[in-house]
Amino acid sequence: MSNVEEQELKDRLSLIESMIAEGRRTTESWGWTFVLWGVAYYIAIAWSAFDPHHYTAWPVTMIAAGVLSSVIASRTAARHPETTIGRAMMAIWMGMGISMFIVMMAIGISGRFELHVGVAIVGAMLGAANATSSIILRWKMQFACALLWWTTGAVSCFLSETQAGIVFLVAILFCQIVFGIYCMFAESRKRKGRSAGQGATHA
Amino acid sequence: MPELPELNPVIHGKLRLALLSLLSGVEEAEFTWLRFKTGSTDGNLGAQLLKLEEAGYVGVEKKFVQRKPQTMYRMTDAGREALTAYVQALKQLLGAAIGA
Repeated sequence: MSNVEEQELKDRLSLIESMIAEGRRTTESWGWTFVLWGVAYYIAIAWSAFDPHHYTAWPVTMIAAGVLSSVIASRTAARHPETTIGRAMMAIWMGMGISMFIVMMAIGISGRFELHVGVAIVGAMLGAANATSSIILRWKMQFACALLWWTTGAVSCFLSETQAGIVFLVAILFCQIVFGIYCMFAESRKRKGRSAGQGATHA
Repeated sequence: MPELPELNPVIHGKLRLALLSLLSGVEEAEFTWLRFKTGSTDGNLGAQLLKLEEAGYVGVEKKFVQRKPQTMYRMTDAGREALTAYVQALKQLLGAAIGA
């Protein structure tokens, strides 16, 4: 075998490796969902604090945020291939969202809602979802968010209503808004780096 | 001396090899994504995908998403086996070249 042929075979092998890696690399962007849901929580909290008919604030805001998320996600999903990791992420967050909606609705309708309990449930569920996602994606920053949510949930049980509310607002700020904006910057940097290194492959 | 394996000519084409490798890392992918990743033209990409489809290495599904037509491709079991065999053959050939 000549050196040219040998080099060509090596090129084929590296082409396979790079394309497999390119296909597996998740190109989906999820930073905006953290920001959107963080803002939705703030709207629901503000609405329930200032509106006398506050019992509609959370369900209406959460349904609106859910609908908006699915519309945006379905539009961006069309541009990305379906990957096992992408489907796992969707399953975690959908499962968490549905569980939280059902439990919170039931507590609200039964009239047994207490802020401590609400923050504890939300903290535990968001902690679990963030932790699972961070383990799959091997992302320490998201695991830090999971720890903060779990701490919020646990600590709220020992605080007054006002203190639990403040802790909840702080957790939303860091784990949703700040983390979401950080994700968006990271995703944008990754996209720019990838498009700069994009090569052409012809038959 | 053991006989050296032959490389599968359907997969050996550079674009077809890139397409199969890309599809091996995802569950399914749209035509436009494959075009973006390979930097190929519509005509060339369509022709190479057709060859892979005729060989039974990729499956195609046409559907409408938000009233827009979408052509989705996924790797078949035969495609996965063929790619694995191709990689093994490549490594064997390279091993023989290094050992020679």
